[in-house]
Amino acid sequence: MKRFWLIGLFILVVVGVIAGVILTRVQVYAAPEQPIAYSHQVHVEAGIQCLFCHPSPLKSPLAGIPSVQKCMGCHNVIDTDNPEIQQVASYYESGEPIPWIRVNLQPDFVYFNHQPHLGAGLNCETCHGDVGQMDVTRQTVKMDMGWCLDCHINQSDEKVGRLADCLACHK
Amino acid sequence: MTKRVSRRDFLKLTAGATVVTGLAPSVRRMVLEPYVQPPEEVLPGEATWYASTCRLCPAGCGIIVRVINGRAKKIEGNPHHPLNQGKLCARGQAGLQILYNPDRLKNAVLQSGGRGSLKFEPLYWSEALDILVDKLETLSNPNRVAFLGGLMPSHLYKLTTRFLSSFGSSSPIIYDLHSALEGRNSTVQLSESLFGSPELPIYDLANAEVIFSFGANFLETWMSPVSQSHAFGTMRQGQLGGRGFLVHFEPRLSATAASADEWIPIKPGAEGYVALAIGRIILEERLGQASSHRPYSILYQNVDVQEMADASQIPVEVLHRFARIFADADQAIAIPGGGLAGQHNGGTSMLAVQALNLLSAQIGRVGGVFLSQPGPTAGFRQNPNPGSFENLSILIERMKSGEIDLLLIYGTNPVFELPTSAGFAEAIASVPYVISFSQFVDETAARADLILPDHTYLESWGYEVPAPGAAKPAVSSQQPVVRPLYDTRSTGDVLLAVAERLGGQVANALPWSDEVDFLQELATELHGSSLGAYDAKTPSSFWALWRQYGGWWTEKEIPREPDISTIVQEPIPVSEPVFDGEENSYPYHLHPYPSITLSDGRGANLPWLQGAPDPMTTVCWGTWVELNPETASSLGVSEDDVVRVISPHGELEAPVVIYPGIRPDVVAIPVGQGHEQFGRFAEQRGSNPIALVASITDPETGSLAWGATRVRIEPTGRKKSLARLESLAGEGRESIG
Ligand code: SF4
Repeated sequence: MKRFWLIGLFILVVVGVIAGVILTRVQVYAAPEQPIAYSHQVHVEAGIQCLFCHPSPLKSPLAGIPSVQKCMGCHNVIDTDNPEIQQVASYYESGEPIPWIRVNLQPDFVYFNHQPHLGAGLNCETCHGDVGQMDVTRQTVKMDMGWCLDCHINQSDEKVGRLADCLACHK
Repeated sequence: MTKRVSRRDFLKLTAGATVVTGLAPSVRRMVLEPYVQPPEEVLPGEATWYASTCRLCPAGCGIIVRVINGRAKKIEGNPHHPLNQGKLCARGQAGLQILYNPDRLKNAVLQSGGRGSLKFEPLYWSEALDILVDKLETLSNPNRVAFLGGLMPSHLYKLTTRFLSSFGSSSPIIYDLHSALEGRNSTVQLSESLFGSPELPIYDLANAEVIFSFGANFLETWMSPVSQSHAFGTMRQGQLGGRGFLVHFEPRLSATAASADEWIPIKPGAEGYVALAIGRIILEERLGQASSHRPYSILYQNVDVQEMADASQIPVEVLHRFARIFADADQAIAIPGGGLAGQHNGGTSMLAVQALNLLSAQIGRVGGVFLSQPGPTAGFRQNPNPGSFENLSILIERMKSGEIDLLLIYGTNPVFELPTSAGFAEAIASVPYVISFSQFVDETAARADLILPDHTYLESWGYEVPAPGAAKPAVSSQQPVVRPLYDTRSTGDVLLAVAERLGGQVANALPWSDEVDFLQELATELHGSSLGAYDAKTPSSFWALWRQYGGWWTEKEIPREPDISTIVQEPIPVSEPVFDGEENSYPYHLHPYPSITLSDGRGANLPWLQGAPDPMTTVCWGTWVELNPETASSLGVSEDDVVRVISPHGELEAPVVIYPGIRPDVVAIPVGQGHEQFGRFAEQRGSNPIALVASITDPETGSLAWGATRVRIEPTGRKKSLARLESLAGEGRESIG
């Protein structure tokens, strides 16, 4: 009888762990709910380049997100009847930042810098996926250390020593 | 109802909680806030450095502040600044915690529950200004308003003085404890009487071969500690082939004394005797450059070396040795420090010390004494020289007798900083309306009716002429490094707005739309000067460079020799120190000293400074009483025993630190703790030794003789362990707390 209970408990734990792993994965790839229903697809199809709104990955560690003022630069006149746009305008008028939820996130112990990646000729979509096709932005790759290293160790001999070094990212 | 959880249930619950937590999504939600309106030229993720001025003490060091995404992250010394040359002290580093302090006032408040109730009601600025204007307009006479200031930025001092004089009132009265502990007022008076110039002299420590420091803690808090430490480093690294020689006279082994080649634990008040004896011996034995002695022989007419030796308890042979060291050096300086100014005979002792520089012809010579050259910055130098305690006592009397209807207080906390016996707390109670401009509710602001909080220095504009200055004529500029965090308002702008509302003469005297307008007009006066380290084509580009550099200074050093032609040749008086308290009932001298971290208490609300251990005792977060081992054993107390220190004017209790570096007849207690108000980090921690001090003044200078009180000590039988890193008894590291 006791043994039966133990097996039951064991199965429960295994199921729990598997469910946990699956749930976590689902969470990673799920698009977080944003304060405003913003669509990258609409903007990209309108012909706007990534670097117009995210201006600094070529010169700074961060890509940057557009200021509310920048949104209003166009939306003063474009699609002003849309309730979502009106919400953007109300943030601007009250001087409050829009509390976007981060989609791609590195933990605090990783020093990620956009600049050298773009310098090495990577495109935005290499890591961020085809954002231009996304109505709601979500993560397309789980940006863990294995994934980073997949690329970092497949480099030419003179680079690999530097790029596979712990201190390249964990300073 | 309480439900008891059995051990078994507890384990089950824990196991359950662990499984549930394991299943919870491991993804963090993080909010990403964009700028609403991005500042120009800000690159996300890249630091911007803004140059400004440190305001943690009156020295006025140049700082640069690292700002990322609109947040100030780190303060460093400005490497171009001629005063501190890229260095900064611990207090300067801790300035960030003023900006981010959780106890800051976030808007103008009215103390609606009555003074001391600490019940505050927020006000709109327009309402607050209405009250201020109304109070000024309904005064029966403009002399019934008084402005009490402490560490004020120079531009605010200028605006305030203009405001008050056009209103028909007298200038601000400046007094703060830090300046009193440094002896600023007495030093200025001494320079005025010797050199005809009321300012702080600059001692060329870097090029000195021998330094005799009489109570000048020049590596800790005295005057301009960062630039002096830098100069001391240069002296030690042997510019002249040697490593220099420092003798420090002080009753207690301070950090400066510990850096000296010789420390003389001098009897309090006897410093002047030593200086006189050294001078007399140099003259009598024609030591050093005898040719320069003749004009000064009259100064030492009344001095008898044996008498001085007896009075100072320093043997004649030792005095002879010092005389020879001082006279034989090519560059020797004697510095009259703050410890002297805090004695009843401070003025004469300081004169006796400065006279050594005259005797050895060190005035205006390399490795000697200079004054700071204003050059083209003369227009900026309406510097608020701290007034004497006597001046302040007059104000206190006027307040008590009901002659003041409106008191305005900026940048000083007299309720905490003055001895209880000065009676400020009673005097302020008899003033009908009190307005404070403090950023925090300190002891004085708690007794105000209205508080109009100024921005912190990292959010505000201004400038300061460093005093004592640097070898180059310089002005340090101040600019906001971040936008104001809260709805506070610059006091300069408050005054300008009030002036506009009052109209008439006052509005005419203050025609600027805001303080930046005023500053810009003043700063661009320097535009076009050929002496500057930089120049610009137009006034507006000059204004940009002024902010970028953190001020203006000349490219080259321009020394200024003090004028000694008018020195009155008369014997230096030998004056005996006077102490408050009968020697029989109060056998020990109380030696309060400024804390290297909290200074006079203004740093007590900054946890970084509270947590920085004192360099000599390694104690943090508290007050302690330093006793010589001999004294401690005669009292029967040991380390961490709580003792009661009693003066004729008050008493305090604190644990003992047994400290061999102190005279047996002296008890030292650091200043800075013992706040009743001033935020969560400062309140109800330690005690304030200044409260015990007698309000006696030096008759020469009118300065507070803060070192002239005697105390007695009683063991309480209790123990309280101090937070300290190490014990002096060589017991190695101990735990904190
Ligand atoms: S010496 Fe004074 S002004 Fe200079 S960094 Fe220290 S606290 Fe600031």
